Amino acid sequence: MDKKLLWRIALIVVVIGLSLYSLYPPQEKIHLGLDLKGGIHLVLRVNTDDALKAELDDAAQRLVSQAKDKGITLGTATTDLESLSFTVEVPPGTDTAALREVADSYLPEFKVSVGAGKWTFTLPANVARNIRDQAVKQALQTIRNRIDQFGVSEPVIQRQGLESDRVLVQLPGVDDPGRVKELISNTAFLELKEVVAGPAPDRQSLLARLGGTVPPDAEVLTGDRKDMDGRVIGKEYWLVKKAAIITGRELRSARRSQDQYGQPAVSFSLVASAAEKFGKYTESHIGTNMAIVLDHRVMSAPVIRGRISDEGIIEGSFSVQEAEDLSLVLRAGALPASITYLEERTVGPSLGHDSVVRGVRAAIGGLIAVMLFMMIYYKWSGLNANLALTLNIVILMGAMAYFGATLTLPGIAGVILTIGMAVDANVLIFERIREELEVGKTVKSAIEAGFGRAFGTILDANLTTLIAALFLFQFGTGPVKGFAVTLSIGILASMFTAVFVSRTLYMIILAGKDRVESLSI
Amino acid sequence: MRIIKKTNIPFLSYRWIAMGISLALILGGVGLILFGPGLNLGIDFVGGTQVTVKFQREPDLEALRKTLARLTVGEPVIQRFDEPEKHEILIRVENPKGKEGDFTRPIIDLLNEEFNGSLGDAFDLNLQGVKELTELLIEANPDGIATDDPEALQAHYGPMAEAVMDWRKQHGIFTSVDEIDNVEGLSDAVRAFIKQRSAAGAFSLLGAESVGPAVGADLREKAELAIIFSLLGMLIYIWVRFQLPYGIGAVGALFHDVLITLGALSLTQREINLPTIAALLTLVGYSVNDTVVVFDRVRENLRLKRSQDLQPLMDESINQTLSRTIITSGTTLMVVLSLYIFGGDVINTFAFVLLVGIIVGTYSSVFIASPIALGMTRLMDRYRKRRREGKRRR
Repeated sequence: MDKKLLWRIALIVVVIGLSLYSLYPPQEKIHLGLDLKGGIHLVLRVNTDDALKAELDDAAQRLVSQAKDKGITLGTATTDLESLSFTVEVPPGTDTAALREVADSYLPEFKVSVGAGKWTFTLPANVARNIRDQAVKQALQTIRNRIDQFGVSEPVIQRQGLESDRVLVQLPGVDDPGRVKELISNTAFLELKEVVAGPAPDRQSLLARLGGTVPPDAEVLTGDRKDMDGRVIGKEYWLVKKAAIITGRELRSARRSQDQYGQPAVSFSLVASAAEKFGKYTESHIGTNMAIVLDHRVMSAPVIRGRISDEGIIEGSFSVQEAEDLSLVLRAGALPASITYLEERTVGPSLGHDSVVRGVRAAIGGLIAVMLFMMIYYKWSGLNANLALTLNIVILMGAMAYFGATLTLPGIAGVILTIGMAVDANVLIFERIREELEVGKTVKSAIEAGFGRAFGTILDANLTTLIAALFLFQFGTGPVKGFAVTLSIGILASMFTAVFVSRTLYMIILAGKDRVESLSI
Repeated sequence: MRIIKKTNIPFLSYRWIAMGISLALILGGVGLILFGPGLNLGIDFVGGTQVTVKFQREPDLEALRKTLARLTVGEPVIQRFDEPEKHEILIRVENPKGKEGDFTRPIIDLLNEEFNGSLGDAFDLNLQGVKELTELLIEANPDGIATDDPEALQAHYGPMAEAVMDWRKQHGIFTSVDEIDNVEGLSDAVRAFIKQRSAAGAFSLLGAESVGPAVGADLREKAELAIIFSLLGMLIYIWVRFQLPYGIGAVGALFHDVLITLGALSLTQREINLPTIAALLTLVGYSVNDTVVVFDRVRENLRLKRSQDLQPLMDESINQTLSRTIITSGTTLMVVLSLYIFGGDVINTFAFVLLVGIIVGTYSSVFIASPIALGMTRLMDRYRKRRREGKRRR
């Protein structure tokens, strides 16, 4: 056997091996889409106007109350979302210099324009955009926290586009949309709690020092254990007091800031009623940990360094991102803006199951019909094509597993269609070989010419189909995208199997024979 | 074996007849779309809410319609889904005009109120999920596990709840609580508890979809862009690989295929959704594939026999590739037919589009694409000649 042939065989074996390797075990490696596995697909819009309106109202309130502290009495304030501004009535005889000072120090980001008897404070567009962006980020974070708590495997929670106010939520295996939506729109429950013991890697070791039982006034909570880079590497257990020191309702705001050494930290402020209570508690617990608990999960447990009353700062060895995240978590007590559902799709598990069964049945039916036809029509050469077809399916599945592509119901249709279209390349080649044989060429040169001439056609024909698949992928969503992926991979794989593999099979059969009288085709 | 012996059919001589037939089909289809029943656009494109439920026994459709009419602005569409003995019903309603929001919940609630009024506070095995059942079991703790560790309880009752719901997944619906006896992996105490505490509601939810106007408009735009760009992409590809007349011929044939298939969709009033668009684009890819094979042969023959007139040469090329055209259409048709018959209701329209499209696409690559390419080539030759003559005269 010549060297060239050996190389070809080796390449084919490697491709088969890689495909099978990436495919095994198939139940784990082939990801089923929501439409097959069952689950929920939600697209929701974060109504960022709410956050903007809240910011304007808050600013107006702040201005009025701060001015009052300085002895300036202002009239009513009205906010106008359209122009990103609020207008406050300034009675005649007001000390305008003092008012400007208040405005400059408490509302530095606003542009002030002074009118007759009223001042208008306008939020610059870039600040407004930032507020909208923050609102979406915060909503995303909140939803993620709550979905985590729901215990769904492989959830997708992402923003659709960079500046978009839309959030996509996909939850495989969940079949009650009502419950999920309830979970999303509920206010999350934030609590700051006293840490009794922890963290520990498991429940037993956490309770070991306490004799294995949970004290009546405490409870066991869990949180994510993270490595130095903030990646989640496992779970950790905390024992905390049941009674909260402070709840989210008493928190006014939280934002990322810096500690005295310039390290990232999180600042927060409390409403007046909570400040005194918190001040007392922190004063008597300096040096102990305080758990920040969101929806019954420990998000972090910083050490109390000193008395905190209305304005506090949480220090830790945070990265900028972590500080940002924590402030987000603290703020996430409530969704920053209301939510509107734009799209909702639920596939019940039995419908998905049914689709898989039927899809597989259709694929097998089609496959058998095509293979029988090829065997009858092209005899031994048909067997060659069938081998190539089988390989094509193996490679297609292997490639899908390798790229982590998702198999959807239209995707199954794509596989089925590939079966029909993949033999096309073989048909083109075989018909060409027949033609060459008819004009009196020898078997070897007919095969040579058949493959050679047909290849250009196959390339042109398949590339055009690939163009359609490409645009489908670009503009398609969900299941349709899955279809485009299977179709594209199927086309590429069919070019390899029909042209390269089939040719090699002929070469193996003809190898070593000087003259071949007839070809079974 | 051979289906087609060597043929010598003068296909292009029949071009006017073929074009006449095609034109009639296209006009008929466009007429149906514009002046007839139009296209039945699904909720993906016009928005709306669609709920598929499986009933224990055949529901009174008229009563169902009356119940739902209380809820919605337009006339609710109620149709059977899949085989009649499965008692699966698809309900489609319009969402309130221009409004976004959650419209699935009210439908389920209404159905629940209508059909499950007698259940009381029993746990509905057909509507609740794994999570709810697990919580119910953990709270009641029928096996009396002595631990206060929620994870241990979860580990004990979770798999049992999953087994119950897996059974529903396999069978679609519980027709009575006694079917709990068929679920494997439950302890006796849990079995007894579920039977005592729960009931089998009248229906289970197979699927629900709700698309608001914003997403609908978005999806419509994307579908249009996908179709326009793939047609353009193919025109350019064939223009570059062959010549402009061939590109026009191929894309002309594609318009022909898409319009006739859309006509068939309008005639059968099948719903057009995202997968339908995917099928249309696949058909576009398939049809152009067929056409390219013919054009490829024409190009090859042109190199061999430069002097020959284009029309007989095209005829010869079509004849040479005819058996391939028919065999490939045949194998593709086999699998699509398999999909159409076995694929189930969800994918049926998808298969229908391909079924029609492959027949029309095969026809058009023989009778439409080549004649257009021929006509365009002649037209351009004449135009060039006239320009050349005009130059000479000057």
